[in-house]
Amino acid sequence: MSRKTGRRLFWAVSMFLCLAGFLLSLLLGPVRTTPGDLARFIQNPDRVRAAIFIDLRLSRAVLAFLVGAALALSGAILQGYFRNPMADPFVVGVSSGASLGAVLATALGFEAAVFGFSGPGLLAFLFGLGIVSLVYALSLRRGGFKVETILLTGIAAGALASALTTFFLFMRSDSYDQAVFWLLGSFQLAEWGQAATIAPWVVLCLLASVWLARDMDLLALGDETAQALGSPVRRVRKAFLVMSALLAALSVAVSGIIGFVGLVVPHWVRLLIGPGHRTLFVASALAGGTFLLYCDLLARNLLPAELPIGVITAAVGAPFFIYLLHKKR
Amino acid sequence: MAPNITEILFALGLGGRVVGVTRFCDWPPEAKAIPKIGGLVDPNVEIIRSLDPDLVIAFRGNPLRVVERIGKLGLPVFILDIGEGLDNLFPLIERIGRVTRTESAAAGLAAKLRARVETVDAGLRGVHSRPAVFVLLYGQGLWTCGGESYVNDLIDRAGGTNAASSLPKKWALYKRERIIKDDPGVVFILARSASDFAAGRARFARMPGMDGIKAVKEGKIYELDENAASRFGPRLVEVLDRMAELLHPERFGGRT
Repeated sequence: MSRKTGRRLFWAVSMFLCLAGFLLSLLLGPVRTTPGDLARFIQNPDRVRAAIFIDLRLSRAVLAFLVGAALALSGAILQGYFRNPMADPFVVGVSSGASLGAVLATALGFEAAVFGFSGPGLLAFLFGLGIVSLVYALSLRRGGFKVETILLTGIAAGALASALTTFFLFMRSDSYDQAVFWLLGSFQLAEWGQAATIAPWVVLCLLASVWLARDMDLLALGDETAQALGSPVRRVRKAFLVMSALLAALSVAVSGIIGFVGLVVPHWVRLLIGPGHRTLFVASALAGGTFLLYCDLLARNLLPAELPIGVITAAVGAPFFIYLLHKKR
Repeated sequence: MAPNITEILFALGLGGRVVGVTRFCDWPPEAKAIPKIGGLVDPNVEIIRSLDPDLVIAFRGNPLRVVERIGKLGLPVFILDIGEGLDNLFPLIERIGRVTRTESAAAGLAAKLRARVETVDAGLRGVHSRPAVFVLLYGQGLWTCGGESYVNDLIDRAGGTNAASSLPKKWALYKRERIIKDDPGVVFILARSASDFAAGRARFARMPGMDGIKAVKEGKIYELDENAASRFGPRLVEVLDRMAELLHPERFGGRT
């Protein structure tokens, strides 16, 4: 199979799976509904079905798709940025910072909603971005701008934030049930406001990353070579780092920490359609969104009670990832 | 969205109008047949919406964000602040009566329960001995109820002294050495069934050092219905009656 037909197949299959995922998300839920119910609802909407199909299921599916796209894109950017396949949105400390923010908000009883975010969501967003800025500032001061320094500072700052998170959880053991859904992610409380808050940013970052994709390709040759070939390396790097942190922090703010999507999805996509960043970014976003859509379907339908979605992403993602890696060799 | 709310609604004669309960709502038995909406911390918004209730009664133990989400779907939600201490039971019943427009039934129920509590109070007037009581929650470890729990209040009202009342918590793990030091005269085991109670009693008595304490020597280990005692509803008064009978048989008909 030539690379070109392979790519066409990838796009066709992803689009199909994505649409099928949305349809399934509308039909499956704790309240039993049939395709006939959906058809009757479209012809003749009533209040209860409108709430279930549109306010609950569709908003949740859209949010899951957006978050999946944001995380996968963020991961694809960072793997290019660090020239390291182990990188993911959370390695620079976004996740640990964000969970610290969320747990702190819960512990302080800061629950009210502001700008479409819940209290923990807002603090998660601010702490997530805050820790990345801190890591970036610390790495700069170490003279020059080395990728390894960012990586290591990120891991250290992340460990510190995790320690504080555990401390607050320990002090307020009664908020633990709630915190689990932050630490492993959930779309339980999805609503249109959240989707509307993050959608413009996801689209904007996707367009910007596609526009800068050429420079990302050059970075793969090394910073000096890229500079020599006329790429404004420092500015490009800064732009990509800001975008990836923004995408990850927004995702955490609406849904908690969902691991594995940002790490694994760009890998799948790279194995299937090659390393060119322009297609990689778009394809990762599509595949990441679709992947999370199906994971959320499992999270809310597998058991009578809701599962945190992080359990599903890891349980489904890891074996498939190992399989792909071995097949490649 | 809590078992005690379900119990109060049934006690007010509203059982037929309850369209959804949590998976923990098993009293009265009729409640088991009502559609389940999930648990206390994980009520399912979609199921609640599909039942299309006229009113959702939540309490502070339900996650606020889930409750807000239900409100945003256009359902009227009432959030109860459930207090601690027996005296808060009557206002709670009256509040539920107000939001469900059954004020007179609620006032009647509250008055009836209050009268029973007052009967116990009257029966205990002038009692000098207040036996030390240790409450054990059946299960792993020595879980007991501290000074902030309403069980502590119940023991107090029934003429006893909770050994663990100095612990500033609702539920707490107790130390074996402290039980031996407290030397309680009576042990209540909160159990769900007679077999759980028997197992709990056997295990308690077998623990090293326990054979010396008064309650074990005198065989004063009694069962309390965990289901009734752990819910802040009308059945607390039954628990109170039973505690008073067990602690002061000389005043309450002598049934032990």
